[in-house]
Amino acid sequence: MTQAAPTETAALLAENVHKRFGNFEVLKGISLTARAEDVISIIGASGSGKSTFLRCINFLETPDSGRIVVGGEEIRVRAGRRGLPVVSDQAALGRIRARLGMVFQGFNLWSHMTVLQNVMEGPVTVLREPKGEVRDRAMDLLAKVGIAEKHDAYPVELSGGQQQRVAIARALCMQPQVLLFDEPTSALDPELVGEVLKVMRDLAAEGRTMVVVTHEMGFAREVSSRVMFLADGRVEEESSPAELFGNPRSERCRRFLASVL
Amino acid sequence: MDWAQLADVATRLAGGLPTTLLLVGQSLLIGFVLAVLVALMRVSPNPLLSAPAYGFVYVFRSTPLLVQLFLIYYGSGQFRPFFQDVGLWFLFRDAWFCAILALTLNTGAYTSEIIRGGIQSVPHGQLEAGRAVGMSPAQLFRRITFPVAIRQALPAYGNEVILMVKASSLASTITILEITGIAKTIIAQTFRPVEVFIVAGALYLAINFVATQAILYAERRLSPASAADRAKAAERRQKAMLAR
Ligand SMILES: Nc1ncnc2c1ncn2[C@@H]1O[C@H](COP(=O)(O)OP(=O)(O)O)[C@@H](O)[C@H]1O
Ligand SMILES: [Mg+2]
Repeated sequence: MTQAAPTETAALLAENVHKRFGNFEVLKGISLTARAEDVISIIGASGSGKSTFLRCINFLETPDSGRIVVGGEEIRVRAGRRGLPVVSDQAALGRIRARLGMVFQGFNLWSHMTVLQNVMEGPVTVLREPKGEVRDRAMDLLAKVGIAEKHDAYPVELSGGQQQRVAIARALCMQPQVLLFDEPTSALDPELVGEVLKVMRDLAAEGRTMVVVTHEMGFAREVSSRVMFLADGRVEEESSPAELFGNPRSERCRRFLASVL
Repeated sequence: MDWAQLADVATRLAGGLPTTLLLVGQSLLIGFVLAVLVALMRVSPNPLLSAPAYGFVYVFRSTPLLVQLFLIYYGSGQFRPFFQDVGLWFLFRDAWFCAILALTLNTGAYTSEIIRGGIQSVPHGQLEAGRAVGMSPAQLFRRITFPVAIRQALPAYGNEVILMVKASSLASTITILEITGIAKTIIAQTFRPVEVFIVAGALYLAINFVATQAILYAERRLSPASAADRAKAAERRQKAMLAR
């Protein structure tokens, strides 16, 4: 293990993250610390910057400034051509991404691969783990998300709920330190939301470290260790779920909760 | 129609079959590699890469293959001293090399557009998922972009293969004795153009029948959508059996 300052022992640290698209400043300095086994829910109105923040954490968007530290390793950003930020150390970027499992709203399974191939792909191609081991682990994970019998199917043959469960197994198979979820149930038919939330609840109960952007207030309230309310690219309020849902301090948060609950 | 002669013509024309297949096969193979490179240049944000690729595609798609063939074969003769100086004359004085070159450049240009379409059709989310697990740009291309693009491009590529089989007949104009070249030779000896061209046409038809089947087979094998169809068909069969 590397020696590091106390805050760096957090599984994930995001500090003062700024991001603009053109003249539009989407993130105006957002910070988040996730310790091992934390489940942090991020809520807020559509357009408040939740997805952008999550995508900045694994550099699907490159933050303009701020720090991201995962498992003690920091990614540095420098100004590139036309003032756009670029990551200098691509190898470190790959390492960090491999430690962050991402689950997307639109599943994003690889359409030309079977379910099992989707789950095995990252560990085999990126981490260069032996296929046999990865296959066993992948089958265990598929069983865990309740979809083992479909391991030979292609994504088009699955319902949205099944696809999202495969996507979760795919993220888990990388054995990440932190799981990032971007509205994992928003693209699902209402009757399929439950099966995905159930898997996520199980993961939280196992002590997985998770950052979840969600509109499922029930999940945020019952499962999270902390809830962050974003508004206009800022953290408007952050506290325990009991506090935030029971007694929101900010007026905007109160109005938002009134509108969604 | 003289049946004995027809059989004789068929035997002689079939002798050109390997030449035609070699011509088409070699050009398709090299042309495909060229096409992937050109397509990659074409989708690059760097104009130093995309502009030459665009120019190449534009020129070869906008001029007749026959003109390209003549320019390469006869045109290189005009610059013979130059080619001799650079030590490439031994290639350009060879009709076979010129035919392969023209066909390769031609199919390279067309196929690069087909592949570019495939690359651009790859859903953005699938690329993000690849980046999110830490794939390098090369891994992303090899494992996601290329396989998805190829599946998308396969039907159009099948068309290109058929066009190439037919286009290879133009090689006869620069002395290559493939099917059409032999047909012309026989006609010059027998003055029976109708019989000869009927047999020649039938040979091209047969080649393209096989080529079409091969592409269809590849499409079925590679397409996840048709895997879904297969699964549904199997399910229907099972239900039908249970109903009985
Ligand atoms: N790639 C982009 N280019 C320009 N604007 C963007 C881009 N991505 C997001 N935005 C804008 O940033 C704002 C925040 O978006 P997002 O982070 O997706 O919000 P949320 O996930 O909270 O709904 C929105 O106004 C959106 O239009
Ligand atoms: Mg969003």
